[in-house]
Amino acid sequence: MFSKILVANRGEIAIRIIRACKEMGITTVAVFSEADKDALHVHLADESYCIGGPLSKDSYLNMTSILSVALATKAEAIHPGYGFLSENAQFAALCEENGFTFIGPPSRVIARMGDKATAKETMRAAKVPVIPGCGLVESLEHAKKEAEKIGFPLLIKASAGGGGRGIRLIHKMEELEGGYQSATMEAQSAFGDGSVYLEKYLRPVKHIEMQILADGCGNVVCLGERDCSVQRKNQKLIEESPSALLPQKTRQKMIDASIRAGIAADYRGAGTIEYLYDPADGNFYFMEMNTRLQVEHPVTEMVTWIDLVKWQIRIAAGVKLDFAQKDVEVRGHAIECRITAENPHQNFRPSCGKIEMLFIPGGPWVRFDTAIYQGYTIPPFYDSMIGKLVVYAKTRDEAIRKMRAALCELIIEGIEHNADFEAEILSAEEFENSTYTTDFIAGFLG
Amino acid sequence: MLFKKPSNPLEGYSKLEKGTHSENVEDLFLVCPKCKKNLSSGEISDNLHLCPYCGYHFRMNARQRLNLVCDEGTFEEIDAELVSKNILNFPDYDKKLTNARLESAEKDGVVCGFCEIGKNKTAIFVMEPYFMMGSMGSVVGEKITRLFERATEQNLPVVGFTVSGGARMQEGIISLMQMAKTSGAVRRHGDAGNLFLCVLTDPTTGGVTASFAMEGDVIVAEPGALVGFAGPRVIEQTIRKKLPEGFQRAEFLLEHGFVDDVVNRRKQKSYLAQILKMHAREARA
Repeated sequence: MFSKILVANRGEIAIRIIRACKEMGITTVAVFSEADKDALHVHLADESYCIGGPLSKDSYLNMTSILSVALATKAEAIHPGYGFLSENAQFAALCEENGFTFIGPPSRVIARMGDKATAKETMRAAKVPVIPGCGLVESLEHAKKEAEKIGFPLLIKASAGGGGRGIRLIHKMEELEGGYQSATMEAQSAFGDGSVYLEKYLRPVKHIEMQILADGCGNVVCLGERDCSVQRKNQKLIEESPSALLPQKTRQKMIDASIRAGIAADYRGAGTIEYLYDPADGNFYFMEMNTRLQVEHPVTEMVTWIDLVKWQIRIAAGVKLDFAQKDVEVRGHAIECRITAENPHQNFRPSCGKIEMLFIPGGPWVRFDTAIYQGYTIPPFYDSMIGKLVVYAKTRDEAIRKMRAALCELIIEGIEHNADFEAEILSAEEFENSTYTTDFIAGFLG
Repeated sequence: MLFKKPSNPLEGYSKLEKGTHSENVEDLFLVCPKCKKNLSSGEISDNLHLCPYCGYHFRMNARQRLNLVCDEGTFEEIDAELVSKNILNFPDYDKKLTNARLESAEKDGVVCGFCEIGKNKTAIFVMEPYFMMGSMGSVVGEKITRLFERATEQNLPVVGFTVSGGARMQEGIISLMQMAKTSGAVRRHGDAGNLFLCVLTDPTTGGVTASFAMEGDVIVAEPGALVGFAGPRVIEQTIRKKLPEGFQRAEFLLEHGFVDDVVNRRKQKSYLAQILKMHAREARA
């Protein structure tokens, strides 16, 4: 086991990792930016070093500074948390070269899964369902042939696309010719590259992701799903496990697919396979793989009793998983609300400033992962998430009740936050009957 | 307040499955709306459901009223077996009916029959406030119509106690049609030279006010009873004017000629007996 770990992150996730280390008897090294000298992780770690200016690129993304601190403090491993350098293959490779253990998968796996086309190819080969589609189409005839295989409705997408340009929704064969011509022309003029490909168009879908743990010794386990469909502009707001809408049969299929995916990716550590799940026909499609710890990992921890951060560290240190898939039991229901310093009434404008008063909810099975404290000043340079309120209960209904009560107990004065907005979502019909899909919040906000 | 209250509904509670009336704490203790004194429910039920301090008239169920006005042992009920059906498949109406039956221990919103009041034989109907606020559906309309028809056949007067929130919306147009049906029966009863004596109790509103409640030959009201078509709040919102003090109350209606008298519950039996007696003599003569 490592005796010293450098935590290359800030905020609540740095606290989460430091806590796991303290329980495991590991000494911790924190790094911080000039704006973070009063941050909680700086005080909680055994040693702390300033690595640069307030901007992320000068500090938390500053690979050389971080590696110098690791060298100087004789840290054996580096935990990147999530965000910042956690999915940076170059950083992982630099750690490997300099003799530090990067707590995560090998750099080549990060690189391979980071490339969307390669990731999809790997998954297709492992018989993991991928959104039906084709490679670049060369002519209208070719497009017609591929369209027949994919089925309608489908999307024509520009290979160099972005910002919604060069995309056409096609409902039937007759529309294909016109759509193909206009999409290629638009792509040509917008990106200087007229090449397009076809992809099946999905109706409102759920974002369901599967947590896996792989020990690099051939053992891959899947710890069940998280329903993360409550999203605003691709930012998750509420996550829960298990998903009440997922039939057991489909869940089992997704678990099997995720284990195959983990093996195919030659994975090591904690990873997440993200899927789009179509509740109308029960199909699911691989979207991408996150080769790191997720923000919403606590809901999985609550329902499986498996400490994901400790297992990340153990696996990195070469410990084999001491349980198999059959030992994984999902019990009860967990919900997480992301508390952000944003004003929902002013288009989610970020809010920063001094926390004048803080009261953290308590009671049985209520967990608040945060790095804020009374008197702390939230700097304007980083992510607006200031905490994760997680509750656990025997049933989903009870968990929702517990979350409503906990949100009312949460008092953060001095800044604006979204706790009331989260409570409103919890009481929406789509949430209560768990039919919500990824377009739910857009409709909820009107 | 530092902490907000979570919006969690009461665990295991369903609006449609509320317990019987007497399980509620408010039923054991209550505050008089007029003099604000704390009263126990036993205290008022022993006192004809009147406030012992200020005489405020509390609501009273149909059987209690029958006990109050009928000569002992003379009441014979008719049409007790009629029950409403959810003809329109109105959402939750079946559950509401079941609850209303539990709450009131009646099959529908009115009790009809024959009795003697001060030895004067009469037909009588009493509406039931604890059955969906005495709302008039097909059964209420039918029972009242039948009572008037029988009274006409037997040349008997009719005494009616009204309390109602109006037509029963769950029965739609069928409940509205009861207004015309009952009015027709009242008219035929009157044309045959019979007396209809109506007592308006709190509250008498909507389709009941707009039909038989206001068609009595003698119309009296209980003190403080609210009698009207639309409620005062609706009127205020429509005409955008503040309504005068006591608007739509029994005393206000007496002042403006809509009712013939306001009669305290304690005096009702002797009052009714006297009127019935006077009219019976006239009929014989």
